Amino acid sequence: MKKLILIMIVVFISVSAFADEKRFAVPVGDSPSTGPMNAPVTIIEFLDFQ
Amino acid sequence: MDTYAGKIRLVIKNAPYIYRDYSHLAAEASLAAKDQGKYWEMHDLLLQRSPVLDRDSLIKYARELALDMKKFTASLDEKKHAQEIEQDKKLALDMDLYNTPTFFINGRRVVGERPFEYFKKIIDEELSAKR
Repeated sequence: MKKLILIMIVVFISVSAFADEKRFAVPVGDSPSTGPMNAPVTIIEFLDFQ
Repeated sequence: MDTYAGKIRLVIKNAPYIYRDYSHLAAEASLAAKDQGKYWEMHDLLLQRSPVLDRDSLIKYARELALDMKKFTASLDEKKHAQEIEQDKKLALDMDLYNTPTFFINGRRVVGERPFEYFKKIIDEELSAKR
């Protein structure tokens, strides 16, 4: 039983570690941007000024 | 950003929170400044002065940036960019995104403010993957 719980914990940790490795496709459109169009890294920030 | 000059493209989407008084107006102000080629100046100023973002303050900031006040005020009052902002809001909603700021670094999601080191790690991973 203890072993099972341990396995479940390990599985849970590894799943959550990879959870955010999903890549989202966010259309850039005409949004304000800075930096070269062909930059190797694109950061899209959703912000609220307030 | 300066650390990675030429390697990063930063794109801003507006996700004004519906229950905050001036979120929407501040987004309008930023896009009105964009029309006059001063988006980033206004972006920095708004973040610096937030949460003081009422109409009079926004007009004062525009004056500080030497914008054409007639055009700026008209744009703000007519909510000229409402459609663009709504589009961003819809996108955020479609992506099930309720926290700001939220970042997508080459599509990898980061929710909330994080220390620079946290971003640096992801950016470095992305840069070495591209090499």
